[in-house]
Amino acid sequence: MAVAAVHSGGIADHIHPEPEGFLRKYVFSLDHKIIGIQYIVTAGIFMILAGALAELIRVQLMKANGGFMTPDTYNAVFTMHGSTMVWFVIIPLLTGGFGNLVMPVQIGARDVAFPWLNMIAYWIFPVAGLMLYSSFLMGAPVAGWTEYPPMSLQGGAGTSMWCAAVFLVGVGSTMTGMNFLVTILKMRAPGMTFTRMPLFVWGQFVTAPLLMIATTALGAALAALFIQREFGVPFFDPAKGGSALLWQHMFWFYSHPAVYIMILPAFGMISEVFPTFARKPIFGYKMIAFSSCAIAILGFMVWAHHMFTSGMAPTLQLPFMVLTMLIAIPTGVKIFSWTATLFGGILEFSTAMLYSVGFLLLFTIGGVTGVFLAAVPFDLHAHGTYFIVAHFHYVIAGGSVMGALAALYYWYPKMTGRLMNEKMGKWSFWLYMIGMNGTFLPMHWLGLWGMPRRYAVYDPQFQTWNQIESWFSFVMTASILLTIFNALWSIKYGKPSGPNPWKARTLEWQIPSPMPYYNFKHIPSVFSAPYDFAEPLPYRGLEEELTDSPPPVPVGAH
Amino acid sequence: MHLDRGFWTATAVIVLLSLAGLLFWIFVPITGIMPEAVDRARQIDLLYRFLAASGTALLAAVFGYIFYFVFRFRRRPNQSPDEIGLQIHDNHRLEFWWTLIPALYILALAIVSVNLFFQIEPVNAQGNTLVVEALGHQWYYTFRYPGIHGEVKDLHLPVGQPVTMHVSAYDVIHSFWIPDMRLKADMVPGLINTLVFTPTRVGKYELLCTEFCGEFHGEMRSGTSQDHAWVYIEPRAKYQAWYDATQKAQANVSDAIQVVSSGAVNLSGGNPAKGHAIFVAKCSACHALGPFDQKIVGPGLKGVLHDPQHPNLVNGEKATPEDVAKILQNGFNGPMGTMPNQTSNGLSDKDIADLVAYLNTLK
Repeated sequence: MAVAAVHSGGIADHIHPEPEGFLRKYVFSLDHKIIGIQYIVTAGIFMILAGALAELIRVQLMKANGGFMTPDTYNAVFTMHGSTMVWFVIIPLLTGGFGNLVMPVQIGARDVAFPWLNMIAYWIFPVAGLMLYSSFLMGAPVAGWTEYPPMSLQGGAGTSMWCAAVFLVGVGSTMTGMNFLVTILKMRAPGMTFTRMPLFVWGQFVTAPLLMIATTALGAALAALFIQREFGVPFFDPAKGGSALLWQHMFWFYSHPAVYIMILPAFGMISEVFPTFARKPIFGYKMIAFSSCAIAILGFMVWAHHMFTSGMAPTLQLPFMVLTMLIAIPTGVKIFSWTATLFGGILEFSTAMLYSVGFLLLFTIGGVTGVFLAAVPFDLHAHGTYFIVAHFHYVIAGGSVMGALAALYYWYPKMTGRLMNEKMGKWSFWLYMIGMNGTFLPMHWLGLWGMPRRYAVYDPQFQTWNQIESWFSFVMTASILLTIFNALWSIKYGKPSGPNPWKARTLEWQIPSPMPYYNFKHIPSVFSAPYDFAEPLPYRGLEEELTDSPPPVPVGAH
Repeated sequence: MHLDRGFWTATAVIVLLSLAGLLFWIFVPITGIMPEAVDRARQIDLLYRFLAASGTALLAAVFGYIFYFVFRFRRRPNQSPDEIGLQIHDNHRLEFWWTLIPALYILALAIVSVNLFFQIEPVNAQGNTLVVEALGHQWYYTFRYPGIHGEVKDLHLPVGQPVTMHVSAYDVIHSFWIPDMRLKADMVPGLINTLVFTPTRVGKYELLCTEFCGEFHGEMRSGTSQDHAWVYIEPRAKYQAWYDATQKAQANVSDAIQVVSSGAVNLSGGNPAKGHAIFVAKCSACHALGPFDQKIVGPGLKGVLHDPQHPNLVNGEKATPEDVAKILQNGFNGPMGTMPNQTSNGLSDKDIADLVAYLNTLK
């Protein structure tokens, strides 16, 4: 019997009783799937807020002399846009959101290792978000999402609130990282060796240590800034023996790995979508997995490339430059492997597949400009200009967001039992591609021609290009709104999906949609990698999952 | 297999596209859009051409194959839903080459960049360099010239003259960017960053702040008002005329950096050997004995009383022993940093006399 049966791997195959009552089931749930959906919905709400702020930025920049907002309001708006998008949209969406929803099922587990920790980590997130937005009431932070002192020491009381909110959300991230790492190390189904794990699990597996290690450095930096602001300890005040650059080192020691926190899970997402819709194995499974590890390790050794103009010994700049360039090699391996996965496939262009191909195109542009910026002499010109804005929006809006949209269309049936509308989906994809490129492509040359970032008013010679960007940004917003409408509409009107609408081969597709509380009636055993379309499914013990046989019997709460 | 005639035709087209991208960046006239106003701008542009050409070639290749595969391998209506693609897992030879070739490219790029880096990085001021200080304020720039009292609004430089610029800031971090010179350095309070270059082209250039510095960051650029600096690169005679006129006009301006005088120290009878011992014990944690650029916390002190290129200490002129003594007495609190005063450093008047005697020996 499934109850309390212990597998050779040492996994106690028992379940707790399903909670009853709305509050325990949907609000303070311990179920990784509900928590995942909570993360996705909350991140979606913050995305609407941060997107609205982005549009305020674009409206202000329609005119070179501004006038739509005061410079101070403009500074608050882009500060909140950046802070929200990084900490309250992308990171929670990709790790806490889709990671929670899919990763435990993909390794054949019933839940994450620490469900209570998972619930607490989630509930920190909306509370921290409310704290962040409450800072608007007390003088919003105005020093950019990077909050460099001494600038951030001049900001209003909201800057201290910003420190506290980001610190808290970082605590939640650290918990999630720890939880996922233990889950993946200890909770895999029998036979689920590391080289049989789906690549999305690999993405979460290399992201988890980054969340754990890097976020603590950010916490220390935020605590120091908060203490200086509130109690006057001069960490960052050169007149009293501190250093203004100390913050930058601590901040980027986190925020560079954070870029990989935002992209590695997205690598995993499209690595699931490509094989499914090409009907062939992912090309170079091991190279994709190992190159993720290489990127994660190298990602810790390159933070100072954000500070090439800040003032650093030349002997220190060179290793950072060369290490940064090295990241291009594993990244290139990934891009070539995904491209090769398309070769010889039977490509089905569902919305998820379209977004994944879009990811591949736009992320490659962001990667190439990243190599440009690694070269110190070029970076001395481009640093702090719109070229940087273009580069990271190609990585984040072209990479992470496209990956998350692919994941949403791909895994939506696992949340709701229904498919999202494909017609709306395809419209949203084309609108996104057009809007995204129209908004951010011209920023490359604007930056090189001499337009610095974070300007509330700018040189009138750049006004035409800025107007073009603003109009395209409205198209991008329309696409996101269409996707959100689609997701809401499909809850009720979407086509029922059945358990496996895409004929995919990873474990989550072998159980009903939406996924039942206990995930698996019996914990399956795994005896091969998941992507061999010519072979039968490499799992044993799944025979009863789609039948009417009774669910496992709970052993009672303890 | 799918490596048929169509594949090789597509490959040929993709290679041609890559080459076209490569050639475009080699020949595109960058100076038609942005002048190269200093010696190193041309070198940086050469690096940019190298990056843009190789980047475009790579993008053309990757995009070419993606578009070709997407078109060629799309599902046809007559294909059964159960049909599967080519079951290949990997190809070690292919993976070897597409790791090795980017690695070699990165190696080449690193060599080119490091080489260029050493050509443009600040080297110690040579004999006939002009030393200028640029200072950031919320939200404007000022400049200090040797021999001119106070701070001036615009940056004037003679063409063909090697320049060493020391940049710093009074309040928050600013940045010093002249796009037409491809020059940038952050102005960090308490820190001195250095730019070394030689202007090569006469003209009037825009100077902008690229490090976010507060409410009016967007207005910290040339031309937004009377107070915002322009950069003028001028023939030497014109520069000299400006310099002489400004020196005269500002002869009676008091300097921004005030040193409170509290009775002069008697400098006679200072012992350089004792001064050296005091220096090692109390000064060497922050000051090197090398040239000005060799900073630890404060500047290097070689030639502080002799080198006319050593940045002026107080009044825009070559420092005198009395100037140095005043700073040792009163400490120093200016845009370039902070030094504790006599009491904090635990120096007696005799110690100061010894130190000044020692510093006088550093030539």
